[in-house]
Amino acid sequence: MRGFVFYLAIGLLAALAQTSFLPLFFPPGLRPDLLLVLVIYLGLSEHMLRAVLLVLLLGGIQDSFSGTSLGLYIFVYLAVLLQVRLLSEHLNVESPPLLLLLIAGGTLVQDLLLAFCLTIFADVGSVVHILLPSFPLHVFVNLVAAAIGLFFILRIRPLFGFRSGLAGLMYQSKRHGS
Amino acid sequence: MRELLRRYRYFLWAVVLLLSILLLYSYNLRQKSATTFFERAVLTLAAPFQASLDRAVDAVNAAWQHYLWLVETKQRNIQLEKENRRLRSQLQQVAEVRLQNGRLRELLAFVDVLDRPALPAQVIGEDAGSWARTVTIDKGTRAGLQAGLPVVAAEGVVGRIIKSAPYSSRVLLVTDASSAVAALVQRTRTRGVVRGRGAELSLDYASRDADIQKGDLLVTSGMGGVFPKGLTLGHVVAAERDRFGLFQQVRVLPAADFTHLEEVLVIVGEDR
Repeated sequence: MRGFVFYLAIGLLAALAQTSFLPLFFPPGLRPDLLLVLVIYLGLSEHMLRAVLLVLLLGGIQDSFSGTSLGLYIFVYLAVLLQVRLLSEHLNVESPPLLLLLIAGGTLVQDLLLAFCLTIFADVGSVVHILLPSFPLHVFVNLVAAAIGLFFILRIRPLFGFRSGLAGLMYQSKRHGS
Repeated sequence: MRELLRRYRYFLWAVVLLLSILLLYSYNLRQKSATTFFERAVLTLAAPFQASLDRAVDAVNAAWQHYLWLVETKQRNIQLEKENRRLRSQLQQVAEVRLQNGRLRELLAFVDVLDRPALPAQVIGEDAGSWARTVTIDKGTRAGLQAGLPVVAAEGVVGRIIKSAPYSSRVLLVTDASSAVAALVQRTRTRGVVRGRGAELSLDYASRDADIQKGDLLVTSGMGGVFPKGLTLGHVVAAERDRFGLFQQVRVLPAADFTHLEEVLVIVGEDR
């Protein structure tokens, strides 16, 4: 339960940062999707049921701060989570480049699903004109954010106990085995 | 059959969950102007944090600009420098107040021209996604705001309120891909629909034969029922005709500067 509330608080903080802090320094295309990074992290590290419940709430939070209708990001994040879960069973998630590749893939899936839902359900086809040109930059920014996050997580984790956090990340720490 | 269900139960659960959420999204699309309990709760919870964060960032920014960067370069004459910094700080504060005063005067002049009751509001947050264009303002249902009300700045149309919580509201900017505003070209009275395209706008359904030129001013037509007639939307930057299309492709630069949106006006009533 403590972990659940912790991740929820992290999600709320990320949403606040995305709405109030990051816009001061970055234009819309240059802001990282912190919640997407968190969703992928949850997909790799948390128990499935807990991850699904968290992702439903995080999607709702993102929907409350973005777009027009509740449900869009809940769907997109859930789909991303399920795919990450499926993939993580077949891949070596201890590899940092692979984790970053998952972020890139997650960004692609998110943008594709957003474009699909907005075009098919909401009849907002012109969103493709916004999403397509900004996609490479979007991936790059998310990768940079994830790399910075990874850098700090690997250094902060030992302070809170070796076993806590993402299982896959444990093996990336330089302190592993020492 | 039972064995089959058991074997694929996780897959089935995932499909059912995804379909349920798609249904929820589809249902919510029909209720765009309704703010759900969840959204109201999140917005209400976040509004004080957003406002505090906004103030804190301003304070840190001000402290950095007014004090920190001066410390190393002005080691001598500490007393004089202190005085100097204080005066500089005051001057910059005065300059900031003057700028804000100027913007508010422009808004007030605009209210007079508008001839409708309007409520000023401060922008306290932006959209959390990269594709949508919305902002959060510091006024909500307690101030009499509700979904559907038009929001403007001195330069022109900003958007309309889509969600309202007690102390904050979310505004769908005209540059959002799901925004559509009935418009007309001021010079020729050609009608069309202005849609958002991220940083720019486009004028859709403008007849191929209509006379639209670069620099033409676009104003609201008042037909949509949301925006009063005659509010500035933007200027035409390019108008092109395909060989076979029925309509022109018109690119429009919005009049309002959405990168520096600080104060806005919410139009709350009918013509006086």
